[in-house]
Amino acid sequence: MTADIGSGMTSRRGFLARLAKASVTGASSVVVARAAGAQQRGAMHDSSIVRDTTNLFAMDQSAARTVQRPPKPGATPIVSLAQRDQLEHRIRCQCGCTLDVFTCRTTDFSCQVSPAMHRDVIALVEGGYGAQEIIDAFVDAYGERVLMAPKKSGFNLLAWFAPGVAVLAGGAAIVFFLRRWDAEREAAAIPQPTNAVGATSEELARLDAAVRGDE
Amino acid sequence: MILIGELSLWVALLMAAWSTTVSYAGGASRRSDLIDSGVRGLYATFAMVLLASIGLWTALMTRDFSLEYVAGHISASMPSIYVFTSFWSGQAGSMLFWALILSMYGTIAIATSRVRNRELVPWATGTLSAILLFFIATTCFKANPFTRLPFTPLDGRGMNPQLQNPGMALHPPNLYLGYVATAIPFAFAIAALFARRLDAEWLGVVRRWALLSWFFLTIGIVLGMWWAYVELGWGGYWAWDPVENSSFLPWLTTTAFLHSIMIQEKRGMLRKWNVVLVIVSFLLAIFGTFITRSGVIESVHSFAQSPVGPWFATFFFLCTGISIYLVGVRLHDLEAKAELESMVSREAAFLYNNLVLCGIAFAVLWGTVFPILSEAAGKPKITVGPPFFNAVNVPLGLLLLALTGIGPLIAWRKASVSNLRRQFAGPSLTGLVVAIALIALGMRDVYALIAYALCGFVTGTIVQEFYKGIRARQSIHGDSVVTGFVRLVARNRRRYGGYIVHAGIVMLFAAFAGMAFRSEHDVTLKTGEAYEVRDPYGHQWRFVSQGVSTSNRVDRDVIAVGLEAFRDGKRIGIISSEKRAYVDSRRNPLFQPITEVGIHTTAKLDTYVVLAGIRARDVAELRVTFNPLVVWVWIGGFLMMIGGLVVMWPQAERRRTQGGYAAVMPPTQPGVEIPVPV
Repeated sequence: MTADIGSGMTSRRGFLARLAKASVTGASSVVVARAAGAQQRGAMHDSSIVRDTTNLFAMDQSAARTVQRPPKPGATPIVSLAQRDQLEHRIRCQCGCTLDVFTCRTTDFSCQVSPAMHRDVIALVEGGYGAQEIIDAFVDAYGERVLMAPKKSGFNLLAWFAPGVAVLAGGAAIVFFLRRWDAEREAAAIPQPTNAVGATSEELARLDAAVRGDE
Repeated sequence: MILIGELSLWVALLMAAWSTTVSYAGGASRRSDLIDSGVRGLYATFAMVLLASIGLWTALMTRDFSLEYVAGHISASMPSIYVFTSFWSGQAGSMLFWALILSMYGTIAIATSRVRNRELVPWATGTLSAILLFFIATTCFKANPFTRLPFTPLDGRGMNPQLQNPGMALHPPNLYLGYVATAIPFAFAIAALFARRLDAEWLGVVRRWALLSWFFLTIGIVLGMWWAYVELGWGGYWAWDPVENSSFLPWLTTTAFLHSIMIQEKRGMLRKWNVVLVIVSFLLAIFGTFITRSGVIESVHSFAQSPVGPWFATFFFLCTGISIYLVGVRLHDLEAKAELESMVSREAAFLYNNLVLCGIAFAVLWGTVFPILSEAAGKPKITVGPPFFNAVNVPLGLLLLALTGIGPLIAWRKASVSNLRRQFAGPSLTGLVVAIALIALGMRDVYALIAYALCGFVTGTIVQEFYKGIRARQSIHGDSVVTGFVRLVARNRRRYGGYIVHAGIVMLFAAFAGMAFRSEHDVTLKTGEAYEVRDPYGHQWRFVSQGVSTSNRVDRDVIAVGLEAFRDGKRIGIISSEKRAYVDSRRNPLFQPITEVGIHTTAKLDTYVVLAGIRARDVAELRVTFNPLVVWVWIGGFLMMIGGLVVMWPQAERRRTQGGYAAVMPPTQPGVEIPVPV
C-alpha cells in the first residue's frame, strides 16, 4: 500500500492538534493545541512564533512559493512514481533543512515547505510535464538554489571541473619532477672525458695548435 | 567559583599575551630567562583556562540561570550528563573549550619537548600562546559564557533534544580534540621555520600529535555519522553538509601527512610538502571553525553580522600570510636530501596517495565554498549538495582505495618486475574473484563492482602482509598463529597498526558501496494493514501496522507506531518509530518535534522505519528504507580507532628503532625489499 500522495500535508499541519485531541491528559492538550496553533500560524507567515533562530534546526516555514504551469492539452503523466521520487531528490527543500524534497517530506512531518513543493511536483506531473520541464519550472520560481547541485553551465562549470583539473595538474607536476630528476641523474651518471695527460685546457689548446702547425 | 572562573578567563588573556611576547622575544634574543618565563606563562594560561572552565561547569551543574549561556542551553529538568556536555553546545562554551584543550595540549607538548627540542621550544610556545590568545580574546570580547542576564529566569531554554544523545555528547569533544591537536604540529612547524631547524628533529613531535589529531577526528567523524543516522531520521549518515565537510577536511590532509612523513623519515624527501601539509591541516581546522561559526556558508553577507566571523577571518588570513612568508623565506632550507627514483616505488605510491587525498580535500573545500564564491562574483545563489560531492569524490575515493592496496605491496626506491609479480598476484586474484562472483550474482552497478573488487584486492594485501609476517615469526621463533600475530603487531606497531586502519577503510568502502542499492518506500498503513516489499537482496518483507499510540511524559508528548515485521514469512519482531514534541514545565513546546527512528540491524541490512505523519486517528505515514551494510560503517570506524591506538601506543626506544621507520633507510639496491622486522 503506497502513500496517498498529496494528502500528507493536512495530516502534517494538523498533527499536533490531533495529538492534543488524542492525548489523555486534558491539561497538556491545551498547551499542545497551542503549539499546533503556532505551527498553523507559522504556515500563515507568522514566522516569529515558530521560527527559532537560535535553534540548529530552525526552519523557515514560509519559504514555499507557488510553482504552477497550465496542464498540457490532453495531459497524461509521462513521469513514473519512481522517476518522480528521483526528481524530488534533485530539488532542495527551502525550509533550511538542507535536505532534498523527497527526503524532507518523508522524514520531517513538521516541515510544511517540502509537502507544498511535493504538491507542486505532483500537479506538474499530472499536467503532462517531463522531469526536466519540472526542474526548470522550479528554477524559474526559486532560482538555481533550488537545485541540489549546480547546473553544468556558465560560471558553475568552474565548480564541476576545478577539482578534476587540480588533480590532473598535481599528477602532471609529479610526472614533470620525476622526469627532471631522471634527466639530472642521467646527466650526472654520464662519464666525463678524463684528461689522461694531466694538462690544463690552455696547454692542450696550445698542443693542438702546435700539432696543426699553427704555431 | 563562577566569579573566580570569570576572573580567571581575564587573567588567562593576560597570561597568553605575556607568554606570546616573551617567548618570541626569548627565541629571537636566545635569553633563557625570557624563554622560561614564556613557558611558565603557557602553563599559567592552562591553569587559568582550567579554572574558567570549572567556573562554567559549576554554573551549569548548579543551574545558575542568571548566566545567559546557562539559561540559553540547559533547563532544570535536563539530565546531568547533558548539562555537563552543554559546556560545548553553544558558541561561547565551545570557544572556551577550544582554549581549554589547546592550553592543555600546549602544556603537555612543551613539557615533554623541552629537552629534546630545546631550540624549538620558545618559538613553539610563542605560537601556541598566540593561538590561545586569539581564542581567549574571542571568548572574552565576542562570546563570553559568563555574560549575565538583567534578570534571572526560573528555567532555562534547554538543549535541543536531538543533541541529547550519547553520540552527540561524545562527537563534539572528539572533533575538538582532533581539531585542536592540529595546532601542535603547526606550532612546531612554525618554530622549525623560525629557528631554521628543519632537520628530522621536529618530525618526532609533529608525527605524534598529527596522529593524535587523526585519531580523535576519526572518532568524532564516525560518532557524528552514527548520531545523524540514528537521530536525524533522514535515512543516511553523511549529507556533505558544510559542518560535516569542515571536520573531513583536516582529516584528509592529516591522513596525507601521516603517509608522506614516512617518506621524509626514510628518504629525506618531501620536506617542503610535509611542512605545507602540517600548516594546511591547521588552517583547515581554523577555516572549518570559521565557516561553521560565522554563518558565511548561509550567505556571504551574514559573516559580518556574526560576532566572531570577522575575528576568525582576520586570524585565518593572518596565519595563512605568516605561514606563506615563512615557508617562502626558508625554501632553501627545505631542499630534499634525496629524489624520487621511479614512478613504481613505495615513495611514488605514497605521493599518488597524497595527490588523491589532497584532491579530495580540494574538491570538498571547493564544493563547500563555491556557493560563497558564486554569490561574491554576483552570480545567482546556488546549492552545492550531495549529487556534486558524490559525482566528484566517488572516482577519487576508488582511486584512493586502490592505492591503499598498492602502496604496501611495492618496494622502496624502485620495484622490480619480480617484486611486483610476487606481491600483486594474490591480492589481484582476490579482487578478480570478488568481481566475477558479484557479476555472476547479478550485480551491475559499475561503481559498486569496482569498489567491491578493490575491497577484495586491499583485503588480499592486508591478509598477505599478516600471513608473511606470521609465517616468518613461526619459522624463526616457533610462535603459534595467535602468538605470532600478537607479537608481530606489538613489534612493529606503526606498520601493522596501519594495516588494521586499512582494514577499517575497506569495511567503510564496502558499506558506502552498499548504499548504491538502498531502496526507499513511502508507505501509508491503517491499523492491521500490511505492506509487502522486497529488500535489495530479494527477501520478501511484510510489515503489519500495530496501530498508532500517543502518550504524555513529563517533558514530551509522544506519538508512536509499531510495525510487526516478517522476512520471508519469518517473524522478525516489532519495529517502532516515534515523533516527540518536547515541552517545558508548563508544557509549552520547546523545539521542532523530532523523530525517533526504528532500526532493525543485521550484518547485511538495516531496515529503517521513520514515522512521517499521522492521518485520521490510526493511519500512519511511514518511510521504510532498506540500507545495506550500514553496520560495517560502525565496525570499520571502530577498527580504524583500534588501528590508530596500536600505531600511537608508546613503544620502547629499542623496539622503535627496529621498526624501520625511526631509522634512516639503509643503502639498498633498487628493488631490494627492506626485511620485515619480526
